[in-house]
Amino acid sequence: MSDTPIYPDVVNWAVPLFIAAILAELLWIVIKGRGGRYETRDALTSLLMGAGNVAESIVLGFVAYGFFMVLWEITPLDLGHSVWVIALCFVLDDLRYYWVHRFGHRVRWVWASHVNHHSSQHYNLTTALRQTWTGTFTFMMVVRAPLILLGFHPAMVLFVGGLNLIYQFWIHTEAIGRLPRWVEAVMNTPSHHRVHHGRNPRYLDCNYAGVFIIWDKMFGTFVPELECEKVDYGLVHNLGTFNPLRVAFHEWIGIWRDVTQPGLTWRERLNYCVMPPGWSHDDSRGTSQTIKARYLATHPEEAGTPGLSVPSGHNP
Amino acid sequence: MPLSILLPMVILGIAGIALLLHVLGLSRRAVLADTAAARAAWLREFPEDSPIRVILCHDHSAALIETARGRGVVWPMGADTTARYLDGARVRQRKGGLTLDLPDYTAPRIRLTLSPEEATSWCALLEARV
Repeated sequence: MSDTPIYPDVVNWAVPLFIAAILAELLWIVIKGRGGRYETRDALTSLLMGAGNVAESIVLGFVAYGFFMVLWEITPLDLGHSVWVIALCFVLDDLRYYWVHRFGHRVRWVWASHVNHHSSQHYNLTTALRQTWTGTFTFMMVVRAPLILLGFHPAMVLFVGGLNLIYQFWIHTEAIGRLPRWVEAVMNTPSHHRVHHGRNPRYLDCNYAGVFIIWDKMFGTFVPELECEKVDYGLVHNLGTFNPLRVAFHEWIGIWRDVTQPGLTWRERLNYCVMPPGWSHDDSRGTSQTIKARYLATHPEEAGTPGLSVPSGHNP
Repeated sequence: MPLSILLPMVILGIAGIALLLHVLGLSRRAVLADTAAARAAWLREFPEDSPIRVILCHDHSAALIETARGRGVVWPMGADTTARYLDGARVRQRKGGLTLDLPDYTAPRIRLTLSPEEATSWCALLEARV
């Protein structure tokens, strides 16, 4: 095994940059009168969620790191620490991010952690910091296992994951419209990510990319931002509270209440944990696919347009 | 980064940004311009359940909604709005309006600012049907 260089904790070092960028965006919006919206309690909740996320990583970070170090002891492979290995690790970790993020929207257990990031009706740089407090409990660290087993050192994997998170900070803005075509073609941009935060039926469950939008194009989940349909930010059912504790835990509470309902089979109880958000044993709610299908039932002329190609045979 | 630097920076950063936003007048709550706006705010949350009746309160901060499925309320969430059905709600009259306690972890308490006459009439309406 090679000597391990010290990788900086880039997310913590980026905190001054986050604060400065938020102030710059706010100043731009106030002076120009366009480019986004801010509201005090919404921003405060987002910032407190960000602080809580850092605290959670300090308190529970050892769980994931311990798991990675066990894998590192097992694997016979060691790719070293060259710049090219770090670059390759960054790209592969971004592919890992795409799948974790996709699971985060399609598996309710993971959504319970990720939902808070989508719980703001605003889309500005503070929204980027509205991060989970419960990521450890999703066990999504297992998706990083292949990287460690392939010989990427755990410290490197966490380092590139931090860079990935920092990249995603600046795309949470309405102050930037569209970037040059080659950038929009390859990279995740403010335009692509605005779509991801949309609650419009068309924009549900798409654009899961972290840094490279190519993953969405490869796996068929890309939807472009349309001039004709402004993004409506937030959740399908928006929260009625700014309390960070409720924001952080509400979906976990929802799962608990659903799973402990009387009269369900064990399969139905399990499905409340692992099926897509909105699934219910009696079809009384709606998943994103149901919402899209219901929308198409009243707007049939939009069938086949981006984000609205409902799988055949789906019953609303 | 050492915690001795990170912690004060995070606390001061959050407090400073919140204070700045408030000073800039960005704490204003959403106002429902008219009944059409209240109706739109309701349909934004429940697009398949059109209001039959909309009662807008005097300062346009909230609206009572009646649909085929039941009663609901639209109220401001900061600069935006949200809405809930009032199934299982507990209604309490207080100075300055009504408090609605809902069996909903994501909206446990809604404080409506109403005139005394409105508070009395809304309370009677809700208690008759809730």
